[in-house]
Order: sequence, then structure tokens, then C-alpha cells
Amino acid sequence: MSEVKVHDLTKTFGRVTAVRAMTFTAQAGKVTGFLGPNGSGKTTTLRIVLGLVRPDAGTALIGGVPYDRLAAPRRSVGAVLEANGFHPGRRARDHLRVLADAAGIPRIRVDEVLGQVGLAGAADRRVRGFSLGMRQRLGLAAALLGDPQVLLLDEPANGLDPAGIAWLRGLLRVLADEGRTVIVASHVLSEVAQTADHAVIVSAGQVRFAGPLSEIGAAGNALESAFLKLTAPAG
Amino acid sequence: MLPLIRSEWRKLSTVRGPWLLLAAGPLLVVAGITGLVQSGGDVHDPAVQSKALAHVALAALFTLIFGIFAVAGEYRHGTVTDTFLSSPGRGRVVTAKLAVYAAVGAAAGLVSSAVALAVTAAWWSAKGGSYQLSAADSWRTLGGGVAVNIAFAAIGVGIGALVRNLAIAIAAALAWIALVEGIAGQLVGSGLARWLPFSASQAAGRADAAGASQLLPQWGGALALAGYAVVFAVAAMVTTLRRDVT
Repeated sequence: MSEVKVHDLTKTFGRVTAVRAMTFTAQAGKVTGFLGPNGSGKTTTLRIVLGLVRPDAGTALIGGVPYDRLAAPRRSVGAVLEANGFHPGRRARDHLRVLADAAGIPRIRVDEVLGQVGLAGAADRRVRGFSLGMRQRLGLAAALLGDPQVLLLDEPANGLDPAGIAWLRGLLRVLADEGRTVIVASHVLSEVAQTADHAVIVSAGQVRFAGPLSEIGAAGNALESAFLKLTAPAG
Repeated sequence: MLPLIRSEWRKLSTVRGPWLLLAAGPLLVVAGITGLVQSGGDVHDPAVQSKALAHVALAALFTLIFGIFAVAGEYRHGTVTDTFLSSPGRGRVVTAKLAVYAAVGAAAGLVSSAVALAVTAAWWSAKGGSYQLSAADSWRTLGGGVAVNIAFAAIGVGIGALVRNLAIAIAAALAWIALVEGIAGQLVGSGLARWLPFSASQAAGRADAAGASQLLPQWGGALALAGYAVVFAVAAMVTTLRRDVT
């Protein structure tokens, strides 16, 4: 199975504890919304899961294996962490070829994913001229390159226009329905409320709620009021 | 390892910056040799001829900066995240970069050498000097120059991995060459100063063809440079493996 299991994760940067004894599981076939205010430890958690940041304690496993032990990481996990991980002078297609080369992914996948994210027409343009939305799509294309069973997306709707957000929502639904594990970190609740099956709500590096979104309630602003209550600073 | 080497090469071949930077090396050689002749260098003196060819080692300034871009440039543009996602074994990434950047450094040194030979020959025939330098001596100078270009590229990769901030890494490297090594040399005395990196590169590239200076012998300079390249490469590996990429 390709579930993502985070257990008792703790990470301190200097005097700031970014993640505190965090535990949750994201299941295959579901979209898990990873929600929390800015600075609540979402991005740090994702970076630990991806082996970029070393935790002080705890484990993060993908299908039972830490990221750096995966035999073919890009074929197992796709990630979008920031909309700006591009060399401005490199063309979109070349950006993906660099990644495909390193992962031993056939070149034909590059054009497939460019088409999938709607960038086929911009493939030979340098990223310098891309809008934030286009960069977001290119990041998504990179994540999809290895046809992975697990997708970790940090604020993927950032910079997308309304049509783009609707498209992204549909894409995430399809990917989860194909049996993949999809984790979407966001602080934009409305975007997640319409897509996610499960929610993990964090605040100050700790999990405040983990479970099916339906438990929070189906009312229009139920998620928002639950979110505000769960993430309100103590005292 | 081969996929990572291919990926590193594609990173280089799909942007223009590194090639513009490396093109500055041969230009420096042309300007340097022309300046040497125009400022009254005696074209009948074999020492001057050797000095002309020794400009190849000076062009290594650009392979040094080129090397710094390998890792620090990835931090600058945020591409380092994707690089480590493709290969969580970061030691392999640094090894692939060292291999590719050293090879390109060698190519840059060879181009600078060819340009140095051509420009020297052109000036010598224009000024009516005869080519008196023995072939063996010419090749020794050029061979040393190419070696310096390779070593500086590798050292640059190490500096960039250690410092990670591109602007600070380049400023520190240039400051060392222009200023700090001179001061450090005075502090440690000339016996030890010969072993400092830029002095070692001067020795390896035979910038003192007259033989009157206090540099190491050529082989000593080359050995010292190789030592620096290894030290920086190991430091790059150790720090890169451990650091958080946030």
C-alpha cells in the first residue's frame, strides 16, 4: 500500500518548535486536506516526509518506507513544494527533461505531463515569462512525471485562476479515484472543503483534528468554524 | 550514477549563463597576452613566451565561479529541492556535479590553451619574434594551466556547497584571490604562503616562468591544488548530506 504514515514527528529550528509530536495517516484512494494557519508546521512536515528535513524525533513512512529508502522515489512520490523551483532561463520542457534524466523516466512522459497540465503550447518557452499559475502547473507536471502513487502538494492552487482551480479539483479527484494517496496542504479552506475526503487540521505544530471531513459537518461554513475553533491560540 | 551525470549535463546545456561565463576565460587569455606584448614584453625572450601561455591558469578564475554555481546556483533558484527529490542520496548528486564540472573545466582549459597558442603565435609573427620556447616547456605550461582549470572548477563546487548563498560564495572566493590570500600569506610567512591555493595555482600554471619567485615547483603546486580540491569535495559531501533543505 502507499499510505503516508507520520508518527510522533518533532522538529525544532533553533528555539522554535515547528512540529510537535505530529501523528496522522493519509490513506490511499483519498484526498487528505492538510490544513492549518500559516506557520503551523505543514510545510516542514511535508519536507520531513520527503527526506529534505531531518526530524529530531519520530518517523515518516511512505508505504512503510522512509523517502530516502525508496528504490525509485519519483515513480513512488510526486511533490509540489513551491511555485518557484525553476531556473528562469530554462525552457519548461528542458526543466522536466532534467528531472526525467535523473529518475530514468522515458522522455515521452515529459510531453504527456505537459499536455496533462495544459502547458503543451508553452513547452518551449523559458520559465522567466511564466505567470504564477503556469509555474504552479509546471510544478504539478514535475510531480506527475513518474506516475507516482503518492502526491504531496503544498498550496497547489496558489496563483491559479478560477478555471484553473476547478481544473485542479477535478484532477485531484481523478488521481485519488485511481487509488493514489493525495495530500493537499492549504490554508484556503473553501478550496479543500470541496475536494478532500479526510482532513488533518494542525496548529502550532500539533494535530487538532484528524478524520473524515464529514465528521466536521456538511454545512457551508462548518469547516471554517471548526477550523477557527481548533486552531485558536490557547488562552 | 549515469542518470545523475546526464541530468547535471542537461542542467548546464539548457541554460546560457554558464557558457557566457566560461567564454570569459579565453577572452581574458586574449586580452592578457595582448597586454603582455603591447606593454613591452620582449618577444625574443622565451620567458615572456612562457608567461604568455601561463594566462591559461589565470582563466581558471572563471571555472572557479562556474563551479560555485553548481550547488549555490541551485539554492539560488530553488531547484535544489527537485534535485534532492530525484536523488535522496545527496552524496551521489555532489559526485555527479564534481564529475561534470571537472570535465567542463577541463574543456574550458583546453579551449583557453588553444586560444593562447593561436594568439601567442599571431603576436610573435606580427612582432617578428622567433618561437624559442621548447615544445616540452610549452606543453608543461599549458598542461599545468588545464589542471588548474579542472581543480578550480572542483574547488568551486565545494565552496558553493559549503556556503550555499551564491552572492556570498562568489564574493568570498574573489576576495580570497584578490586580497585575503596576500594578507594570510604575510601572516604565515612565505614558506607556508606558497602552499595557499592561489599561490599553488600560480605554481601549477607556471606563472613565474622566470623562476625567480618564491612559488612551489610546478608539481608541488599541482599536488597542493589537488589536495584542496579533495578537501573541499569532502567538506561539500559531509555538509550537504546533513543539512536541512527548507
